[in-house]
Amino acid sequence: MGTTRVRIELCGRLADTCGRELDFDLPAGGLPVSAVMAALGEAHPALGEALAGGRIRACVNEAIVPAAALVRPGDRVALFPPVSGG
Amino acid sequence: MSARVELAVAGFDPAARLAAFTAALEGEGAVVSFTGHARSAAKDGGAVAALVLESYRSVTLASMEAIVADAHARFAITRSHVVHRCGTIRPGEAIVFVATASAHRRAAFEAADYMMDRLKTEAVFWKREEGPDGSRWIEPTEADEADLARWTA
Repeated sequence: MGTTRVRIELCGRLADTCGRELDFDLPAGGLPVSAVMAALGEAHPALGEALAGGRIRACVNEAIVPAAALVRPGDRVALFPPVSGG
Repeated sequence: MSARVELAVAGFDPAARLAAFTAALEGEGAVVSFTGHARSAAKDGGAVAALVLESYRSVTLASMEAIVADAHARFAITRSHVVHRCGTIRPGEAIVFVATASAHRRAAFEAADYMMDRLKTEAVFWKREEGPDGSRWIEPTEADEADLARWTA
Protein backbone atom coordinates (compact mmCIF):
# COMPACT_ATOMS: atom_id res chain seq x y z
CA MET A 1 0.00 0.00 0.00
CA GLY A 2 1.26 3.48 -0.81
CA THR A 3 1.36 6.53 1.34
CA THR A 4 -0.24 9.94 0.99
CA ARG A 5 1.51 13.07 2.14
CA VAL A 6 -0.50 15.15 4.58
CA ARG A 7 0.49 18.51 5.95
CA ILE A 8 0.32 18.88 9.72
CA GLU A 9 -0.06 22.33 11.24
CA LEU A 10 1.74 23.01 14.51
CA CYS A 11 0.08 25.57 16.76
CA GLY A 12 1.39 27.72 19.58
CA ARG A 13 4.73 26.71 21.06
CA LEU A 14 4.84 23.53 18.95
CA ALA A 15 5.87 25.76 16.02
CA ASP A 16 8.96 27.01 17.87
CA THR A 17 11.20 24.07 17.03
CA CYS A 18 10.21 22.82 13.57
CA GLY A 19 8.15 25.61 12.02
CA ARG A 20 4.41 25.91 11.53
CA GLU A 21 3.90 22.96 9.19
CA LEU A 22 5.34 19.50 8.71
CA ASP A 23 4.69 16.98 5.98
CA PHE A 24 3.84 13.45 7.03
CA ASP A 25 3.53 10.32 4.91
CA LEU A 26 0.29 8.64 5.90
CA PRO A 27 -0.51 5.01 4.96
CA ALA A 28 -3.46 4.78 2.58
CA GLY A 29 -5.57 3.20 5.32
CA GLY A 30 -4.89 6.05 7.71
CA LEU A 31 -3.38 6.05 11.20
CA PRO A 32 -4.69 6.90 14.67
CA VAL A 33 -3.75 10.34 15.97
CA SER A 34 -1.61 8.76 18.69
CA ALA A 35 0.47 6.90 16.10
CA VAL A 36 0.87 10.03 13.97
CA MET A 37 2.16 11.92 17.01
CA ALA A 38 4.56 9.11 17.94
CA ALA A 39 5.94 8.95 14.39
CA LEU A 40 6.34 12.73 14.22
CA GLY A 41 8.19 12.67 17.54
CA GLU A 42 10.59 10.05 16.20
CA ALA A 43 11.15 11.91 12.94
CA HIS A 44 11.59 15.27 14.71
CA PRO A 45 13.31 14.69 18.06
CA ALA A 46 13.01 18.40 18.94
CA LEU A 47 9.24 17.90 18.96
CA GLY A 48 9.31 14.50 20.61
CA GLU A 49 9.29 15.64 24.22
CA ALA A 50 6.34 18.00 23.74
CA LEU A 51 4.34 15.39 21.81
CA ALA A 52 5.04 12.62 24.32
CA GLY A 53 3.74 14.56 27.31
CA GLY A 54 0.11 13.61 26.77
CA ARG A 55 -1.02 17.24 26.79
CA ILE A 56 -1.21 17.73 23.04
CA ARG A 57 -4.60 17.47 21.37
CA ALA A 58 -5.23 16.81 17.72
CA CYS A 59 -7.63 18.69 15.51
CA VAL A 60 -8.84 16.95 12.35
CA ASN A 61 -10.89 18.89 9.81
CA GLU A 62 -11.46 21.70 12.32
CA ALA A 63 -12.74 19.51 15.15
CA ILE A 64 -10.78 18.41 18.22
CA VAL A 65 -10.63 14.61 18.25
CA PRO A 66 -9.52 11.90 20.72
CA ALA A 67 -6.09 10.25 20.38
CA ALA A 68 -7.70 7.09 18.99
CA ALA A 69 -9.36 8.92 16.08
CA LEU A 70 -8.16 7.92 12.63
CA VAL A 71 -6.33 10.40 10.40
CA ARG A 72 -7.13 9.65 6.76
CA PRO A 73 -5.56 10.88 3.53
CA GLY A 74 -6.94 14.30 2.67
CA ASP A 75 -7.63 15.28 6.26
CA ARG A 76 -6.58 18.68 7.55
CA VAL A 77 -4.59 17.98 10.70
CA ALA A 78 -3.37 20.38 13.39
CA LEU A 79 -1.74 19.76 16.76
CA PHE A 80 -2.76 21.92 19.72
CA PRO A 81 -0.65 22.48 22.84
CA PRO A 82 -2.52 23.56 26.00
CA VAL A 83 -4.57 26.68 25.26
CA SER A 84 -4.58 30.01 27.09
CA GLY A 85 -7.05 32.77 26.38
CA GLY A 86 -8.16 35.96 28.08
CA MET B 1 -32.39 35.02 24.12
CA SER B 2 -29.51 36.68 22.32
CA ALA B 3 -25.90 35.52 22.28
CA ARG B 4 -23.29 37.32 20.22
CA VAL B 5 -19.72 36.03 19.92
CA GLU B 6 -16.95 37.83 18.05
CA LEU B 7 -13.32 37.07 17.29
CA ALA B 8 -11.78 40.51 16.74
CA VAL B 9 -8.68 40.73 14.54
CA ALA B 10 -8.12 44.41 15.37
CA GLY B 11 -8.60 46.67 18.36
CA PHE B 12 -12.16 47.18 19.59
CA ASP B 13 -13.86 49.67 21.90
CA PRO B 14 -15.37 47.91 24.94
CA ALA B 15 -17.32 51.01 25.95
CA ALA B 16 -19.04 51.13 22.58
CA ARG B 17 -19.86 47.42 22.79
CA LEU B 18 -21.33 47.90 26.26
CA ALA B 19 -23.37 50.91 25.13
CA ALA B 20 -24.83 48.91 22.23
CA PHE B 21 -25.50 45.95 24.52
CA THR B 22 -27.33 48.12 27.03
CA ALA B 23 -29.31 49.90 24.32
CA ALA B 24 -30.70 46.54 23.17
CA LEU B 25 -32.09 45.53 26.57
CA GLU B 26 -35.72 44.51 26.68
CA GLY B 27 -36.62 45.19 30.26
CA GLU B 28 -33.85 43.24 32.01
CA GLY B 29 -32.87 44.66 35.39
CA ALA B 30 -29.19 43.68 35.45
CA VAL B 31 -26.18 44.12 33.18
CA VAL B 32 -22.69 42.93 34.12
CA SER B 33 -19.62 43.49 31.98
CA PHE B 34 -15.96 42.58 32.28
CA THR B 35 -13.08 43.78 30.13
CA GLY B 36 -9.62 42.23 30.28
CA HIS B 37 -6.73 44.46 29.18
CA ALA B 38 -3.18 43.54 28.23
CA ARG B 39 -0.85 44.17 31.15
CA SER B 40 2.36 46.15 30.73
CA ALA B 41 4.35 43.78 32.95
CA ALA B 42 4.81 40.01 32.99
CA LYS B 43 4.31 37.95 36.18
CA ASP B 44 8.06 38.22 36.88
CA GLY B 45 7.89 42.01 36.57
CA GLY B 46 9.57 42.19 33.18
CA ALA B 47 8.28 44.59 30.55
CA VAL B 48 5.82 43.30 27.95
CA ALA B 49 5.95 45.01 24.57
CA ALA B 50 3.03 43.04 23.15
CA LEU B 51 0.85 40.00 23.62
CA VAL B 52 0.32 37.78 20.62
CA LEU B 53 -2.81 35.65 20.59
CA GLU B 54 -2.81 32.90 18.02
CA SER B 55 -6.11 31.30 17.00
CA TYR B 56 -6.99 28.37 14.73
CA ARG B 57 -9.48 28.63 11.88
CA SER B 58 -13.11 27.99 12.83
CA VAL B 59 -12.15 26.06 15.95
CA THR B 60 -11.42 29.15 18.05
CA LEU B 61 -14.79 30.79 17.43
CA ALA B 62 -16.56 27.45 17.92
CA SER B 63 -14.84 27.03 21.30
CA MET B 64 -16.07 30.48 22.37
CA GLU B 65 -19.59 29.74 21.13
CA ALA B 66 -19.69 26.48 23.12
CA ILE B 67 -18.75 28.31 26.33
CA VAL B 68 -21.41 30.95 25.74
CA ALA B 69 -24.06 28.31 24.98
CA ASP B 70 -23.20 26.51 28.22
CA ALA B 71 -23.52 29.77 30.17
CA HIS B 72 -26.98 30.38 28.72
CA ALA B 73 -28.00 26.82 29.62
CA ARG B 74 -26.66 27.13 33.15
CA PHE B 75 -27.67 30.64 34.24
CA ALA B 76 -30.87 32.64 33.85
CA ILE B 77 -29.35 35.20 31.51
CA THR B 78 -31.32 36.58 28.60
CA ARG B 79 -28.49 38.00 26.50
CA SER B 80 -24.72 38.01 26.23
CA HIS B 81 -21.96 39.48 24.12
CA VAL B 82 -18.41 38.11 24.07
CA VAL B 83 -15.53 39.66 22.13
CA HIS B 84 -12.03 38.13 22.14
CA ARG B 85 -9.04 39.61 20.37
CA CYS B 86 -6.51 37.69 18.37
CA GLY B 87 -3.29 38.91 16.79
CA THR B 88 -0.88 41.42 18.31
CA ILE B 89 -2.18 43.35 21.32
CA ARG B 90 -0.33 46.28 22.90
CA PRO B 91 -0.33 46.95 26.67
CA GLY B 92 -3.55 48.65 27.71
CA GLU B 93 -5.58 47.37 24.77
CA ALA B 94 -8.66 45.26 25.48
CA ILE B 95 -8.19 41.51 25.00
CA VAL B 96 -11.57 40.19 26.08
CA PHE B 97 -15.01 41.64 26.75
CA VAL B 98 -17.94 39.82 28.30
CA ALA B 99 -21.38 41.32 28.90
CA THR B 100 -24.41 39.55 30.30
CA ALA B 101 -27.95 40.63 31.11
CA SER B 102 -30.60 39.05 33.28
CA ALA B 103 -33.80 39.93 35.10
CA HIS B 104 -31.94 40.00 38.44
CA ARG B 105 -28.26 40.58 39.14
CA ARG B 106 -27.01 37.20 40.43
CA ALA B 107 -27.33 35.34 37.12
CA ALA B 108 -25.59 38.12 35.21
CA PHE B 109 -22.66 38.22 37.68
CA GLU B 110 -22.26 34.46 37.78
CA ALA B 111 -22.56 33.94 34.02
CA ALA B 112 -19.90 36.58 33.30
CA ASP B 113 -17.58 35.04 35.91
CA TYR B 114 -18.18 31.54 34.53
CA MET B 115 -17.54 32.55 30.93
CA MET B 116 -14.29 34.32 31.85
CA ASP B 117 -12.99 31.30 33.78
CA ARG B 118 -13.70 29.04 30.83
CA LEU B 119 -12.40 31.48 28.22
CA LYS B 120 -9.09 31.66 30.11
CA THR B 121 -8.59 27.90 30.19
CA GLU B 122 -10.61 26.34 27.35
CA ALA B 123 -11.01 28.78 24.48
CA VAL B 124 -8.65 27.85 21.66
CA PHE B 125 -5.97 30.55 21.83
CA TRP B 126 -2.25 30.42 22.37
CA LYS B 127 -0.87 33.46 24.13
CA ARG B 128 2.70 34.70 23.89
CA GLU B 129 4.30 37.62 25.69
CA GLU B 130 6.89 39.54 23.72
CA GLY B 131 9.40 41.58 25.68
CA PRO B 132 12.92 42.94 25.42
CA ASP B 133 14.36 39.48 26.21
CA GLY B 134 12.42 37.56 23.59
CA SER B 135 9.07 35.85 23.68
CA ARG B 136 7.45 33.41 26.09
CA TRP B 137 4.35 31.22 25.75
CA ILE B 138 1.76 31.55 28.51
CA GLU B 139 -0.26 28.58 29.70
CA PRO B 140 -3.12 28.53 32.22
CA THR B 141 -1.83 28.86 35.79
CA GLU B 142 -2.85 26.75 38.78
CA ALA B 143 -4.96 29.73 39.86
CA ASP B 144 -6.75 29.67 36.48
CA GLU B 145 -7.43 25.94 36.87
CA ALA B 146 -8.68 26.48 40.45
CA ASP B 147 -11.01 29.22 39.19
CA LEU B 148 -12.39 26.85 36.58
CA ALA B 149 -12.85 24.06 39.16
CA ARG B 150 -15.23 26.28 41.16
CA TRP B 151 -17.90 25.57 38.55
CA THR B 152 -17.64 21.79 38.74
CA ALA B 153 -17.45 21.47 42.55
